[in-house]
Amino acid sequence: MSDPTLAAFCDLVGSHDPVAVAGGKTRFGLGGSLREGTRLVSAPEGILRHLPEEMTVQVRAGTSVRDLHEALAEKGQRTALPERGGSVGGALAVGENDLHVLGRGRVRESLLQVRYVSADGRLVSGGGPTVKNVTGFDIPRLMVGSLGTLGLIAEVMVRTNPIPPRSIWLTARDVDPFAVRDSLVAASAVLFDGRGTYVQLEGQVGDVVAEQALLATLGRFEEVAGPPPLPLHRWSLTPAQLSDEVCMAGAGDFVASIGVGTVFASLPQPRATVSPALIALTERVKTAFDPTGRLSPGRDVLQGRP
Amino acid sequence: MKIRRTTHPDALVSILKQALSPDRVRNDAAERSLFSNDASIFKGGASGPVCFPVSTAEVQAITRIALDHGRAIVPRGAGTGLSGGAIPLGEPIVVSTMKMNKILEVDLVHRIAWVEPGVVNLDLTKTLMPLGFHFAPDPSSQQSCTIGGNVANNSGGPHCLAYGVTSQHVVALDVVLPNGELVHLGGLDAEPEGYDLRGAYVGGEGTLGIATRIAVRLTPNPQAVQTLLLAFNSVEDAANTVSAVIASGIVPAAMEVMDQLITQAVENYVNAGYPTDAAAVLLAEVDGLSSGVAINAERIAAIGREHGAVSVRVASNDEERARLWKGRKTAFGAVAQIAPAYYLHDTVVPRSQLAGVLRRVYEIGAEYHLTIVNVFHAGDGNLHPLILFDPRENGVLERVHAAASDIVEVSLSVGGVLSGEHGIGIEKRDHMELMFSFDDLDHQRRLRSAFDPLCRSNPGKVLPSPHSCADIQSLSRIPEGVWG
Amino acid sequence: MTLNLDPDELASCVQCGLCLPHCPTFRVSGDESMSPRGRIALMRSVEDGAPITEEVKRSFETCVQCRGCETACPSGVKFGHLMEKTREALAKAHEITPSWQRFALGALDHPGLLSAGSKALAVAQRVKIVPKRLGVPRIPLRSPAMESSAGSVAGDVYLFTGCVMDVWQRDVHRDVQYVLERAGFGVIPTTNASCCGALHTHAGLGDRSRKMARHVIETLDGAIPILVDSAGCGAAMKEYGSLLGTDEAKAFGSRVFDVAEWLVANPGTLEAPGVLDLRVAVQDPCHLRHVQRVHLATRDLLRPFVRELVELDDEGLCCGAGGSYSALEPELAGQIRDRKVAAIDRANPDVVASANPGCSMHLQAAGVKSVHPLSLLAQALRG
Repeated sequence: MSDPTLAAFCDLVGSHDPVAVAGGKTRFGLGGSLREGTRLVSAPEGILRHLPEEMTVQVRAGTSVRDLHEALAEKGQRTALPERGGSVGGALAVGENDLHVLGRGRVRESLLQVRYVSADGRLVSGGGPTVKNVTGFDIPRLMVGSLGTLGLIAEVMVRTNPIPPRSIWLTARDVDPFAVRDSLVAASAVLFDGRGTYVQLEGQVGDVVAEQALLATLGRFEEVAGPPPLPLHRWSLTPAQLSDEVCMAGAGDFVASIGVGTVFASLPQPRATVSPALIALTERVKTAFDPTGRLSPGRDVLQGRP
Repeated sequence: MKIRRTTHPDALVSILKQALSPDRVRNDAAERSLFSNDASIFKGGASGPVCFPVSTAEVQAITRIALDHGRAIVPRGAGTGLSGGAIPLGEPIVVSTMKMNKILEVDLVHRIAWVEPGVVNLDLTKTLMPLGFHFAPDPSSQQSCTIGGNVANNSGGPHCLAYGVTSQHVVALDVVLPNGELVHLGGLDAEPEGYDLRGAYVGGEGTLGIATRIAVRLTPNPQAVQTLLLAFNSVEDAANTVSAVIASGIVPAAMEVMDQLITQAVENYVNAGYPTDAAAVLLAEVDGLSSGVAINAERIAAIGREHGAVSVRVASNDEERARLWKGRKTAFGAVAQIAPAYYLHDTVVPRSQLAGVLRRVYEIGAEYHLTIVNVFHAGDGNLHPLILFDPRENGVLERVHAAASDIVEVSLSVGGVLSGEHGIGIEKRDHMELMFSFDDLDHQRRLRSAFDPLCRSNPGKVLPSPHSCADIQSLSRIPEGVWG
Repeated sequence: MTLNLDPDELASCVQCGLCLPHCPTFRVSGDESMSPRGRIALMRSVEDGAPITEEVKRSFETCVQCRGCETACPSGVKFGHLMEKTREALAKAHEITPSWQRFALGALDHPGLLSAGSKALAVAQRVKIVPKRLGVPRIPLRSPAMESSAGSVAGDVYLFTGCVMDVWQRDVHRDVQYVLERAGFGVIPTTNASCCGALHTHAGLGDRSRKMARHVIETLDGAIPILVDSAGCGAAMKEYGSLLGTDEAKAFGSRVFDVAEWLVANPGTLEAPGVLDLRVAVQDPCHLRHVQRVHLATRDLLRPFVRELVELDDEGLCCGAGGSYSALEPELAGQIRDRKVAAIDRANPDVVASANPGCSMHLQAAGVKSVHPLSLLAQALRG
């Protein structure tokens, strides 16, 4: 291992006591509270290499997403990671998509290469630095959304995307948000809060104008500064369940992401049960990567256990 | 604890026949020999009984019988893979998915389709087209290859530049694990909870169990498409154009480069009007909304001219476009006009390194007295050098093997990877250590063993010894004759 | 045993598998042994000394010889030739084509025998003891001989009448003759040219088919074009050059044309009182599309004379008729036909135009209304 920063992080994590990473702590409680006595460490920071012509950026996990995006914007690029005050490593370990997922892609697909510290304190690398790669098993996919229970992310190579020339938010009342979603091609987000529909259009100026004209045939849309405020809790439904009152019952105030299935709700989502076979497989994965259970103890990626 | 025992082969066959039906279990030597190879140049596989299940329950039954009898299983689709991933080692039970070929449901609300693994890629797209959708991964073998095979190899194709490889298009799957259990991975909801085992499974090359139902994402057909054909006086000019296009902020739907020899062979077959006097051609496609498509097509043409394009042709209609693409997609087969056999390689390099690496690839060909032609997914830096040879020439395979290894080394030395879309299989298994450390490989093994603790599913693939299955010693090295 | 295959031809297959979906037997079975790639692999292993097992024979016998794999193959593998040679070697060793098949095929080049057999069949049909599913058309008890109209201004052509078709579907020949005469040509129906030998080639009876080819060439000497209205016969006759390997046979082959191919190149004076009010789906006989590769002519010829032409969406996948294939492999032929019928149903035509009598009969037996494109054209011209 040639990078002293990563070596230092490995030493910091060590190989014995219960340990977890604290990033921006924006989603820190996901998966349950850490067991008492768990030592918290911070991942290293710093943007290492942005290659605009490769559409990749190599960045240390402790870097804030906001700083990363500021740096990328100088070359007209961005990533799919949500910008909400947290770190790059945190965004990946949590795996939740940005509001603009329709246009910017999923977080899980943006991670090309990951370097993490294993339960026994070693630096492990998965994936590869290129935009396309099927070399070996897909460790990066496994790390996204693993809540720090399989390895502690130290450094990553993330896919970047060009920032489109034009991006606007529009809103209208009394339109069918599902019809809006089905009609549009360049929508990065279609949100519905029970009354108003919010649309984000992104793309070439001419394309946005064309889509705006299309929207005008569906309702009286007006330009707004941004999306509506989002309630605290996050639900995961299928796109079809959004139009089903039974599935939406208990959400309280909500903002639903049409065509995606994410619902931002004032109340937490009732837990669904998970099959025994999936629980068994999940436990085998956890045990394989963290035999002693020292990584982020107390957190469970499966909230729906019976 | 299950007791594993070995059984007389005939007994195994009759048990399999009872579980399926007599006509869907084959054990004739001639027929088994057909399942000992795939589309790669690797020989030396040995298939045990070949099963053709028609349901998830039958796949579970086969898996459990295999487990009881201490036999491994190797899943197989159309056998168009190029890295030897479907080649059975040590006479395992081969499970052909070709009779599980139903499109079970097309769900336009969720924009997904549930399919069985044996559905042919292009058949799915043809079914979806009239509904306004398609399945985005489009490997060159798409007319023959199956969705199950695409999932196993995380297949790509020209249009993955903009749309992403298979993993991005698999929403959920039902997988029969090597212990016979059925598990549902992923989900149609926005962010299924738990580890992304769906993502971990895709690209598992048949070592993580057999997917029997797959929910694939439907991609809306683009409103507008433009296909450009640019001709260049050198392969470097074409490669530099590709790099410049991406740097300018355009993400085309596809960018493909073919060198002169392959262009001539292709043109001979399709008569698409490919310029046979050009040193290289770049096939670029942009799609989306009409305004953006027009702007990007013009910008690509301009960037091409700045980088030495001697001609720029825009396909004027669907038929012309289809013909150009047919040429690109049949390129590998058309090579037979030049030489009776080829070894199709697959590495990825950073786009900015394309020109330099290609120069080295041609030099490597010259060093080993081998003709190497190039046709590749330039847009994402995915090289496909074809090393041409005549297998009847004495000792030629050693030279082919050596040249291939040199290409791997050159690709890795500039920050590339071993495979962009063909997978590791047995082909690059022993190259894995060039890219990954011992600890890296050990963690890949951990993932595999979580799915398949007993190493029963497609043993001997992907991971090199000592990370591969310890209990099957005979497979810890590539068997004699594989390269012959 | 050896199959005497050309090693270069055998080596040209690179196992890419692009042929698989274009093979009708692989399409319905998913069996590698019923695919072109699998069959070539078995040919190789037999050449390498593997025994001829029942499974190996089955693989070769189930091939329809449609040659759809040839148009799909970017490597240009001559699969048809490989399969013909394979069958010839196996037939010589009496591994395939049992004697009853040889006897039945023998009738084809004995007009007297064929005529007697057909008369018996015609009578049997009248007393209703021939099952409809066999797809044998209603055979006329008596059919007047066709007459020559040689000596026209535009020139004379041979109309090859063949064997089975001459007896069973003479009406199609009459329609073809009518259309050619309306176009201004003088038509000489061949009377003693007999059988083209295509079915014998497919069955591996190479010596016999070569003898028959030589007979056809001798009978139809001269320079005038030879028009064929059966795609299978036309394909075989165009390939006499490679069958016999002589310059004479090659020259003969270049005189052979499918009727539609000829009429599109030499349209003459075809005018109809009006268009037929029909939605017509063109079903391409494999040997027109994949061997002669002139299937587009059928469309060009029909287009001005019918209301609507529609394409089937199966990219010319075989219908399963395959000469005598539908009789020898009824189960597979039926499954293959099911796919074709489904494609026809999707196109929803009033009538299907098929330029091969075997295909037409096979489709009719499944309830498809199928006619020869020249019969449609004749109907339009007659008004």
